[in-house]
Amino acid sequence: MSVLPDGFAALEPFAGLWSAPDMAARAALRDAVGDAERQAFHAAMKSLVRPALERLDGKPLDALDPAERLLLALVLAYPHVAMAVEVQGGAEVRHAALRRHMRITPEISPPA
Amino acid sequence: MTDEPILEMLSVDEAAARFGRGPLPAAPYHDPAWWEREREAVFLRSWIHIGHVCEVPEPGSFVRREIEFAGASLLVMRGRDGQVRAFHNACRHRGSRLVDEMSGKRSKLSCRYHMWTYGSDGTLLSAPDFERFHVAREACALKPVATEVVAGMVFVNFDPQPAQSAREFFGPIAAAMERLPVARATCFTEWTYEIGANWKTNFDNFQENYHLRFIHPRTGEQALGPENPFGYPTHYGFLGPHRGQRLWKNPDPPPIPDSLRLGYARVGELACREGLDFPKTDFKLFPCFHVVGLPPYQNYTHTMYPLGPDRTRGQVRMYWTAPPADAWAAFSREFAAVAIRDVLSEDREAVEASQQGLAAIDEVHFQDHEVLLRHLYLEVEKRVRARGKTAALAEVAA
Ligand code: FES
Ligand SMILES: [Fe+2]
Repeated sequence: MSVLPDGFAALEPFAGLWSAPDMAARAALRDAVGDAERQAFHAAMKSLVRPALERLDGKPLDALDPAERLLLALVLAYPHVAMAVEVQGGAEVRHAALRRHMRITPEISPPA
Repeated sequence: MTDEPILEMLSVDEAAARFGRGPLPAAPYHDPAWWEREREAVFLRSWIHIGHVCEVPEPGSFVRREIEFAGASLLVMRGRDGQVRAFHNACRHRGSRLVDEMSGKRSKLSCRYHMWTYGSDGTLLSAPDFERFHVAREACALKPVATEVVAGMVFVNFDPQPAQSAREFFGPIAAAMERLPVARATCFTEWTYEIGANWKTNFDNFQENYHLRFIHPRTGEQALGPENPFGYPTHYGFLGPHRGQRLWKNPDPPPIPDSLRLGYARVGELACREGLDFPKTDFKLFPCFHVVGLPPYQNYTHTMYPLGPDRTRGQVRMYWTAPPADAWAAFSREFAAVAIRDVLSEDREAVEASQQGLAAIDEVHFQDHEVLLRHLYLEVEKRVRARGKTAALAEVAA
């Protein structure tokens, strides 16, 4: 049985690492992994983010089934990785050292 | 819509003509003795943002706030009557700290030491063997701090008799803030930081665009163009001790990365649905509070609490009128927060480096497009000098 909704099997290799529970954890993940892992996740997600959002569209978050919830977690990890890969680029490691000081308050972040 | 009718908007030359030119002494940015005077004259006498009513949704809900500049631990609590109050987190018997948790909900607060018990409005409800104290119960309520809610935000003033209410102090900005999402917020995204810089050094960084092209070469390029290579604002706005700016709109911004485009794809629609239609906002409220609104989805508050002459604690909050209704809303919020946090992180090194050299130079130089820095400086200085005079007169009288 697939862990992600139909059509998103290509993301399965990333589901373990990139499904963090909240924004603080996702930001920490961006910092913790290496450049190659960010690049690989970014490449796999890039063309699937919009289809994923469309697949999840219109459903209240608490009505998502486990597979959809997992897909949402990957979708929410994407902005972090996209900023790293598409905007910060080669400056990402240096930027991470500055960003670390901006501590996201976990319990009041929007629920994933 | 913009904030134009609220602040008096001046061109850069008009602003310079009003607030002057020339260098100013650097000492207020680092001198411990000056900081002590500022603490007295500004921070213990101004309205300071410390929270939001959505953090204390029900009677008995409370949050604890440590306010370092006042050496105070405060409880912000909603009473049974629905009113939000702030008290010192200190038992009136012999000072015991009442609450250790950062937040919670209780109908009563009991002191562990001798079980004095207070209601959610701070009144002393009971105290064992109280007759032996020979004191009125009313005199033993939790010590209040002047508290006012404006646009859903909780402001406190450590002056036992503030010269003005918060609403008077903010003037027409109060009504403008009531129209922002923050006034109807039910939740928020938050991050906090500490930085090795005076609170003004840190605030000043957000009061000028001169640094954009050097510090934000990647995240700031949208704000710069050939006819405005520094991305200077078109106007600077003033209202008493408060100020703001009108950003220049780049007519021909460089293309944004694909992912960012996706992050913005639905924000207009989401903002309509969530009641997040708000005017473009930039209020820099005296002393240390910045309210930013870039419609449709990037609105945040930034509070800079001084910890000492060369250290500051910052808090950034993006306020939302409801939890994200669906995946698009969650995704767009995450994108907005990640983008703002990335930009604000970039300033850190420059701000700390600036602080480190301030003691070596006698004066700082402000160019015309740094007029907001000058305005903050002058407003602080005015209060410190006035307070010095009051204190000197009191000494003569005594
Ligand atoms: S110090 Fe609180 S009851 Fe005695
Ligand atoms: Fe900046």
